[in-house]
Parts: sequence; structure tokens; C-alpha cells
Amino acid sequence: MPEKVIEAEELVKRYKTVVAVNGVSFDVYQGEIFSLVGPNAAGKTTTVEILECLRTPTSGSATVLGLDVLKEETQIKKRIGVMPQDFNAFERLTVKENVELIAKIYNVKPDLKQVLGELGLWEARDRKFEALSGGMKRRLGISMAVVSDPELLFLDEPTTGLDPQARRETWEVIKRLKRIGKTVVLTSHYMEEVEHLSDRAAVIVQGDIIAQDTVDSLISQYGGGFKVRVANRDKKVEELFTQVAEKVYTDENKVTGRFPTRQKASKALASVYQLDDKYVVDIVEPSMDDVFAHLAGGRVDERGELI
Amino acid sequence: MKSVFPMLSALLKSWLRSKTSIFFSFLFPAMLLIIFSTIFGGTGSGEYTLFVQNFDVENGTPTELSQGFIGALESTGVFDIQYLDKDVDVRTYVKENPSFYYSYRILVIPEGLESNALNKSMSVRIGVLLDTFALLEEQFSTSMSESDLESIRTGQTMLTAMELYMRPETPTMVLLTDEQDMAAPALAGLIHGVADAFSNNLIGTEEVVALTSEFLEQRTLEVADYFLPGFIAAFIMTNGIIGATSTISEYRRDGQVKRLAATPLPKISWILGNILQQTVLAFMLTGLMIVLAWVLFDVRVIPDVYALSLIFVGAVAFCSVGMVLGGVIKDVEAANGAGNAIAFPMMFLSGAFFPIEQMPEYLQTVAKFLPLHYFHDGLLQIMIYENPGQSFGAFVILGVFAVLSILLALKMTKWKEF
Repeated sequence: MPEKVIEAEELVKRYKTVVAVNGVSFDVYQGEIFSLVGPNAAGKTTTVEILECLRTPTSGSATVLGLDVLKEETQIKKRIGVMPQDFNAFERLTVKENVELIAKIYNVKPDLKQVLGELGLWEARDRKFEALSGGMKRRLGISMAVVSDPELLFLDEPTTGLDPQARRETWEVIKRLKRIGKTVVLTSHYMEEVEHLSDRAAVIVQGDIIAQDTVDSLISQYGGGFKVRVANRDKKVEELFTQVAEKVYTDENKVTGRFPTRQKASKALASVYQLDDKYVVDIVEPSMDDVFAHLAGGRVDERGELI
Repeated sequence: MKSVFPMLSALLKSWLRSKTSIFFSFLFPAMLLIIFSTIFGGTGSGEYTLFVQNFDVENGTPTELSQGFIGALESTGVFDIQYLDKDVDVRTYVKENPSFYYSYRILVIPEGLESNALNKSMSVRIGVLLDTFALLEEQFSTSMSESDLESIRTGQTMLTAMELYMRPETPTMVLLTDEQDMAAPALAGLIHGVADAFSNNLIGTEEVVALTSEFLEQRTLEVADYFLPGFIAAFIMTNGIIGATSTISEYRRDGQVKRLAATPLPKISWILGNILQQTVLAFMLTGLMIVLAWVLFDVRVIPDVYALSLIFVGAVAFCSVGMVLGGVIKDVEAANGAGNAIAFPMMFLSGAFFPIEQMPEYLQTVAKFLPLHYFHDGLLQIMIYENPGQSFGAFVILGVFAVLSILLALKMTKWKEF
């Protein structure tokens, strides 16, 4: 079992009448990507900011890299890297100057060509922050978080507001961080992102973690199974699904059967083709979207709002 | 604390690349120094406008005596003489033509000035002769012969008869001024002086008491001498309070303070980095202002160690106030408003732009509670009067103010719970 790098116990953060975090507990293990996923105002940022020593919990306790967030702030800050939500750098400083500033604060002398090169920023090293695209800004944020070669990285909503291309580029960067052995704590309201990047995830809604596990387990537990969807509604298919599927959904144009495992869904698909190989059939895999819908009773839109 | 200098370097680079910051922190104060020193710098003639309405005219031409009197007034170099027509009703004219530039002073020369003055001078001369005869008789009658005494008495009788016959009016000019005109009594005194000299001349007397003018060797202070330390002090204050408040609140809004707080950077390094940045800017501003004052207004000032030390203390003090405001007020616009609300009244009330002696007494009391007053006064004493001993109070007051402000900034700057 890998070593625990974060242990959070019953963390509570209360602001006068508002409870932002309501007793969350979770562990993060070395080398994994752990995601806190949920809509806006769910308590994701507040939770990670407690771990980054930027907020003091009202109650509960947490250790980061074995250090107490209440007592060993400076030691923790020296060993973590942070990219805050809505990241910004000095606008009129260049990419290189911004990264150098952070390196000097950590009192390290990194190989900037390597750091910036790995994030595709070396060519843009003399460009001012204000002149960078949204995707490049986020990559600079990540380079500022990794320049001190931290053991643990906190990336708070690293792709919010980016276009799909820039988002995918950022995902590649995060996956590379995992490959070189970094532990990453990610917050996101993009279910696809969490599913694509995370080893484990915690679903957080209104300050409570309502489920946490590996992404695969969450999907298998709460994803609602695999769906075999047949275009053109047909009585024979309906009869077949009634016998083999957990549940059958029909509408004007199609018949859908739900199956608990991929194997059972594949078997059902083969049976449909046996009836007639002209049917248009596909398998819809369960996703974190389904997990969230199942657990929270709604979906999260592009802006992070619960709908 | 090692991280203060990287922080300072980043803040300075960022600041120096902002055209807006450079304009408001350097070019704007430089423009104001030039404008104020030029406008109030004594390029005007220094003369007082005096309107003259001359009724003493013969055959359409002013009499020789009235012209001579006006010429004598002009020759003092104090008056710029403007003529009013005889037909003008001066009281109506003044009401209908109010002026922003001067208070009306009108000298009315009456009709018959010349003839009455000549008659009066004869009358005065006769009076003097009669007094002289009376004195002779009183002092020397015992030693004089009877025939000489008789001659004197005959002369007295004739002169008395002539004096009774002449009985001239005293020609009286009228000076009309505004009741609120502070310069009027001094100008009236000057006109009286000219009139007395004229009277003496007419009756042929010599000066009994004389006055002559000589020049003292002294350093003449120009308006720019006053403005230079005033502007340096005022704009170090505004850059510190308004500049730092706006920068800090902006950095807080866009998340940069949070970004830095998540690193091992200590809060004090952030505060000191910003304060030192303003201090460097304060020295740059001082250099620019001194060069401008030297080139344009011939104010030759080389800041010594006292001036540089006071500028350092002042910049630290006022920037710390900006750090406090930027740290306390969440909203950027409100923080900017608070900075302006503190800096602008202080700028005008502290005496940095004009001597506080020109202000009402209660505002002078207010000025003495403002740190900028001592900053400006200290720089004036050191840089212009070359009297650093008089700046001790400024060092103490600004020093205490700086320490308290830094402590307050340290307390009020949030490094958590953004």
C-alpha cells in the first residue's frame, strides 16, 4: 500500500451562518491523482485551501506529508506546489521571470529550459504573461507549481474556462506529472476530466463528500451499468431485452437495455445482431456524469452549476 | 527575508513596464511642478493697477501738474496706470465691470488741482514767512533797531492782507478702494508719499528727513524653491498611499497574493518588497524633480544624506499606509476611493502646495496633525534652507509614523482566508 500523503479527518469550515465544508474525511496516497469533484460552491476549493495552509479549519484535523496543517505551515508550503483557482501571475513579467520569481522564493535553482520545455513554454519564455493564451497561462501556472520540484501538487480547477484543445493539452501535462511520480490533488467540475485523469475521486456536494473510491469503482457502483442502444424501435429487440437486461427503456425511435457489466452488454449486443445484422447498435459505457447524476440527483453544466 | 529582494525586483520590473503607472507617478508630478512653478513663479510685472480719473483739464488737455503727479506715481514702478474717462460714473463702472484679476483702486483728481495747488503753495509760503517774521521779532527784537522792526511789521501786515485775500482751497484727490482690499492701505500710503513730495516741491522746501535704499546680500527664494520639496513630499505620499493601495488591492483581486501566500514567502517579505519598491520609486521621482527644477527654474539642489534619509522614512511611512488600506479593503474600487480620500485632502491641507500661513487658523491646526506637513517642512529645511537641524521633528514624527504603519500593515495584511 502506498504511503499516505494527506490525511483529512472531519474537516469543517464555517463562515458565520454558512457551512462551506461539513466534516469531510479522506486520504490521498503517494503517486496518485486524487480528485475532488463537484459543482461550484460544493466546498472543493475550501477543502484544498485548508490543506494548502491558506485557510484554517473551524474543526477537524489534517496532515499533509505527515505535517500538521495548523502547526507546520511553513514546512508544508516548502514541500507542496499550488496552482490556485483563477490562477494569475505578474502580467507584465515574462514567462521566465514569473517562474524565476517562484524559484527564488523556494530558494531553488531549477533547469528552466527543462521545466518550461516540458510544459511547452520554452519558446514563449520571453512573452509577457498578459500576452499568453488561456491554455499557456494554465501551463505557466503548473510550471510555477512544479518549479520547486514538490512532492505534492494541488491543482485547483486547472482547466476551467479553457477550450477543448487547451484542456486536452493540460490533461497531458497532468498525466506526465503522475508518470514522473508526483502526487496530484485536483479539483474539477468536469466529470470527463476527473474520469480521464484520476485514480481516485471524492464526490463533494454542499460541503459533504457523498462518495469516494477509485474512479472505476465509483462508476461500477453508481454509474448505472452499461447500456445497449438499438436505433429503430423494434418489438423483437424489446422482447429480447426484457429477458436479459436489468431494465428496458423505450422511446419513439430506439430501445435501450441496461446491463450490470460490459460482458453482459456485449452478449446482449451479439444477441441483437443474431436477430438481424442490419440493426444499428451501440454500447454506452457508464461515466462519472452518471455517477454524479445518481449521487447528487442532477448534472453539472459547463460553468460548474448544478442543474 | 532573503525573498524580499526577488519580490522587490519583480514588483519594480512589473511597475516600470506599466505606462499608466509611470505617467501618474512620474510624468504627472513633473507636469504639475512645471505648471505651478511657471504660473506662480513671478513672470508677472508685480505692479498694482491704479485707475485714474482726471478732472483737472484745461482746453481738453490734462494740466501740467496733474500729468506730473501721475508721472510721479508711474515712476515709483508700483503702479500700472489705467485712465478712466471723465464722463464715467466710477461706482457704476465698478459694478458693471467686476474683475477676477484685480481689486479696483481709483484715484480721482479734482478739477482745479493745478490752480488750487499753486494758490495753496503761495498761501503756505506766506504762512511760512509770517511765522519766520514772528520768530525773528520774538528772538531778536531787543538787539534790532526800531527801523528794522518797523520794516518787519510792515511786511507782516502786507503778507497777512495777501493771505486773507487768497484764502485758497486745499486741492483734495480721492482714492476709492474696496473695503476688503488688503493692499489698499499700503498703496494709499505710497500715494500720500508721492503727494507729500509734490507739496514740498511746490513750496520749495528741501528734505528735512531723507530715506535712501540699499541692497542686502541674501539668498532670494523663488516659487520653485518652495514647490520642489512640496511636490517631492506630496507625490511620494500619493504614490505611497494611492499607488500602493491600488496595486495591493488589485493583486489581491486577481489572486496573486493568494498565489504567493501558498509559497513559503513570508508575509513580511511581501510587505517589505512593496515598501522598498515605493522607496526606490520615491528616489527616482526625487531625482527627476530635482533635474527639472534645476534645468527649468535654476533651483540648484543636491540632496544630501539627511534629505535621502527623510525621503526613505517618508516613502516607508506612506507606502505602509497604502499596504494597510489595500490589505483591509476588499473591493478594489473602494480601496482606490479610500486612498484618494486620504491623500488628496492631505496634499492640499498640509502646506505642500502653498504656505499654511495663508490658510485660516483652524486649517493651520489641522495641517499640524498631518504627517505630510512635517515631511514637506523637513525637506524644505534640508534642501532649500540648508538647515538640517530644523528637520529633527520631521524625522521623529515620520519615523514613529512609519514604524506604526508597518506594524499595522503587518497586522492587517491577510496571508490566509482570502
